[in-house]
Amino acid sequence: MERFDVIVIGGGHAGSEAAALAARSGCHTLLLTQNVATIGQMSCNPAIGGIAKGTVVREVDALGGIMGRATDRAMIQFRMLNRSKGPAVWSPRAQCDRRLYREAVQSLLQQLPNLVIRQGNVAKLIVTGPSVAGVVTLDGSRLGARAIVLTAGTFLRGRIHVGHAEGVPAGRAGEPPAVEISQHLADLGLEIQRFKTGTPPRIAGESVNLVALARQNGDEGGYWFSSYERAVHPRQLPCYLTWAGPEVKAVIRQHLNESALYGGMISGRGPRYCPSIEDKIVKFPAAERHQVFLEPEGLDTSEMYVNGLSTSLPAAVQLDFLRRVPGLESVQMTRPGYAIEYDYFPPTQLAPTLEVRAVPGLFMAGQINGTTGYEEAAGQGAVAGLNAAAHAANRDPVVFGRDQAFIGVLVDDLTSRGVDEPYRLFTSRSEYRLVLRQDNALRRLLPTAIGRGLLTPQERRLAESRLRREDAVLATARATPVSGPDVGEMLRDAGFSASEAVANATELVKRQGIGLVRTLAAAGVFVEPADAQWAEIEIKYEGYLAREAAAAARIARMDAFPLPRDLSYSDIVSLSTEAREKLQRHRPATLGQAGRIPGVSPSDLHSLIVEAARR
Amino acid sequence: MLADPIVALATPPGRSALAVVRVSGEGAFAVARRVIAGFRPDPPRRATLATFRAADGTSIDRGLYTVFPAPASYTGDDLVELSCHGGLAVPARLVAALEAAGARAAAPGEFTRRAVLNGKLDLLQAEAVGDLIDATAPAQARAALAQLEGGLSRRLAQLRSALIDLQALLGYEIDFPGEDDGPVPLERIAAETGSVRERIEHLLATAPAGERLREGALVVLAGRPNAGKSSLFNALLGSERALVTEVAGTTRDAIEAPTDVMGWPVRLVDTAGLWDSADPIDRLGVGVSRRWLAAADLVLLCVEGHRPVGEDEADVLRGRAGLVARTKSDLHGAGADAVSAETGAGLDTLRTRIAAELFGSRAALADLEPGISRERHRTALARARDALEAAVPHLAPGGEAVLAAHHVREAASALDEMVGTIDVDEVLGRVFASFCVGK
Repeated sequence: MERFDVIVIGGGHAGSEAAALAARSGCHTLLLTQNVATIGQMSCNPAIGGIAKGTVVREVDALGGIMGRATDRAMIQFRMLNRSKGPAVWSPRAQCDRRLYREAVQSLLQQLPNLVIRQGNVAKLIVTGPSVAGVVTLDGSRLGARAIVLTAGTFLRGRIHVGHAEGVPAGRAGEPPAVEISQHLADLGLEIQRFKTGTPPRIAGESVNLVALARQNGDEGGYWFSSYERAVHPRQLPCYLTWAGPEVKAVIRQHLNESALYGGMISGRGPRYCPSIEDKIVKFPAAERHQVFLEPEGLDTSEMYVNGLSTSLPAAVQLDFLRRVPGLESVQMTRPGYAIEYDYFPPTQLAPTLEVRAVPGLFMAGQINGTTGYEEAAGQGAVAGLNAAAHAANRDPVVFGRDQAFIGVLVDDLTSRGVDEPYRLFTSRSEYRLVLRQDNALRRLLPTAIGRGLLTPQERRLAESRLRREDAVLATARATPVSGPDVGEMLRDAGFSASEAVANATELVKRQGIGLVRTLAAAGVFVEPADAQWAEIEIKYEGYLAREAAAAARIARMDAFPLPRDLSYSDIVSLSTEAREKLQRHRPATLGQAGRIPGVSPSDLHSLIVEAARR
Repeated sequence: MLADPIVALATPPGRSALAVVRVSGEGAFAVARRVIAGFRPDPPRRATLATFRAADGTSIDRGLYTVFPAPASYTGDDLVELSCHGGLAVPARLVAALEAAGARAAAPGEFTRRAVLNGKLDLLQAEAVGDLIDATAPAQARAALAQLEGGLSRRLAQLRSALIDLQALLGYEIDFPGEDDGPVPLERIAAETGSVRERIEHLLATAPAGERLREGALVVLAGRPNAGKSSLFNALLGSERALVTEVAGTTRDAIEAPTDVMGWPVRLVDTAGLWDSADPIDRLGVGVSRRWLAAADLVLLCVEGHRPVGEDEADVLRGRAGLVARTKSDLHGAGADAVSAETGAGLDTLRTRIAAELFGSRAALADLEPGISRERHRTALARARDALEAAVPHLAPGGEAVLAAHHVREAASALDEMVGTIDVDEVLGRVFASFCVGK
């Protein structure tokens, strides 16, 4: 039997990162997928990043992951969202060329020395005792592994719905689902539930009357998700903005009972923040129009993604309403939108390492854990890959704190709270959003990357020298007194009275909000803007960051308080009924986790402390 | 909120020669430094004489302080013990000064809870665990608050909802740019913030209502010598406070002790030292006694058994809110007003009567609300109000919504105990219900 340290099943965004980080950890790793040609496929919208998600991409990249570099290579439009709302919530987002993205992922994976990529369908896991020991493929070959990462996406018993028909078994449009492995996991005792999600139609760009539409260009100036590579971005393309008005609404209303969703064909829950156009019209009948973004699919295709019109209506109805959208009067639809239902495993069955509690050595990441989004999948892939490698090599697990990374928030939310709709990250989910920024992702995660040996010597040098330069700017800012006529002028320009007494550069940045580069220049010190951004933000948020750090330290103490595994919550009478029921179900590992379960109050925590102390 | 500095009186409240106040948590030394003149953290575990000062610089007392640096302290965090003169006023002023210096009034059992969290289990005794069990009171308190009549529960529910709305507006602003509904004008969010702040201001002004609730109602025990006043005083204060020992000839003043009666704050005064003396010199004492009676919110006249109320006794009640307690029922037999400090019979009935007399219909609900410190709720409301105030400037043009959101979250968490923890899913749920978001 051929043996590996780690086998990753699936080549989507979770699988790619899991394979990359397991291999970078030094493990002999196999990436096993139904179709090697679709590794790195963007199955839904052709964009990476966005609110909170962009920060996740930066975090995965800091660890040595794939997504940031691939996005840089495939980026055909870049925008920094939330630019006016404070640097804490600046959110990088890039439109990507689908083909370039896939190629970048595949090429980045192929460069990893410890990684073997192979095509194959998994029929079942080899389980010896309680632990996994390998996989058996449909063609009967047996492959040994110390740890396995399962990243099956929407393929587990996937069923696609277009209109009121019964639905077609599929993992993605045109690709077969995975059925056997799902049943096999159920046989191992895992709980399975159903979710649904949807995707909009694609159209032929040459059939769109673009001149009639509002054009949305990207930002000027360069941005790179990766801290390790300065890729040359491809040619940039605009997006176009239009809207679905009363005519579209009328068509959809008329055919509502033909929608898979409203025709009762789909039982699983879908994400509220990713509604179909049917949903929007039913839930917000008063809204006159809904925005529609036409996003380019790539440089060598004219196909466009109709963001905003996700639907499961019959193809003919889709074409009908599309042609009532301004600019799309004579549009050609290249592929209809669809809804897909799939199996997921409620993630409270997982440890904070994403290991299945009941099956040691088996890790799960991505959409099968009940999440949506490429970035959420990638973040989990990174955690599962690192921990599969740690498991294979008998090393300590890697768990990111909620104050350390959005990936930490994501995994903690999933494993300690669970999900009742497909989970997506928002900055609101973090208690520490001033700390978890896109600009400091490298700083937050470099120690882990170095500690786990994930970086090449060149990558490490690059990262360390960047942080040193940033540190130097901050030190300079704190030490540089700013005064003299230049400062007076600068203050007058910014609308302040020039007589303000000024101690040092940090005061000007914090109090008056004048840029650090400019402030230092007034004192005759010249620094690179790229190196100064972090220092400027740190100075600006100084007091807030200290408070978030203090709050995080308090939580860390609760997270360090273990709760006995065998605690019988239903017998603790001092708990509220709701807390008793939820704690019994979730079985938190620590007091901190218990506190994050909705419905568990501070006084319930006091009771838990007493119970733990009594034993 | 585990390691922020907390303060509490560590000795039973009331008359005593000395009282000990403890402050513990991260920053406890900084807090102590603002109150203790010439404070130094070294040497540890050694008593040092110093002057304790209020925020305005006036001297409160001269006493000893002892520093226990983490982890070698009761809680495991930095801790300072201050010994001051006993009684009611000095310890209360000292606690108030430490609060003004940055410490928060400790929740019941909070010192012990921290000790447990810091792994100081070996220091725990059965009593400490009991202390922790008492700390579950906030749950009952919340239940009680939910049932309170007079519109308070409704107003707290409205406040909670308004806080969720506010967080939802900010969540929408930050997490959902470029949606169908467009951005919410920052002025609207600022106005909402102001209106939540006003709600809190209103709650602060009206609940708890009145001086009695804030300071505790003054209940004065009166009666002839040997009427059982001191025994009843001790019985009403509860067993842990049974150590009022009097040394003959040393007490010429009344004994005052704060307590709660059916959950309502009361300052109980025993005028025993005045009435019991046959010494004519104590005419002075009688004058003091009159002043107490004049200030009383309620006079509790102690009359043994079924003996008729004398003229002198009736005088005491004339023109004043008062109750007659028929004491020593274990010796003289039972009646509706009968109470026995010895057996405890009739004590609960007496407490209910006192509470009903002082707080009227509110008292009926008060038994649901033990161990709750209204002062803590007032502090929480004030903190929430200040946090909302701090949020407003960030909603002006050029401000950062994310900083406003930081302060609003701070306000919400200050009110956790009063209105219940607001979960992020509730906030997001409100966003999804109010705005058509997502593509």
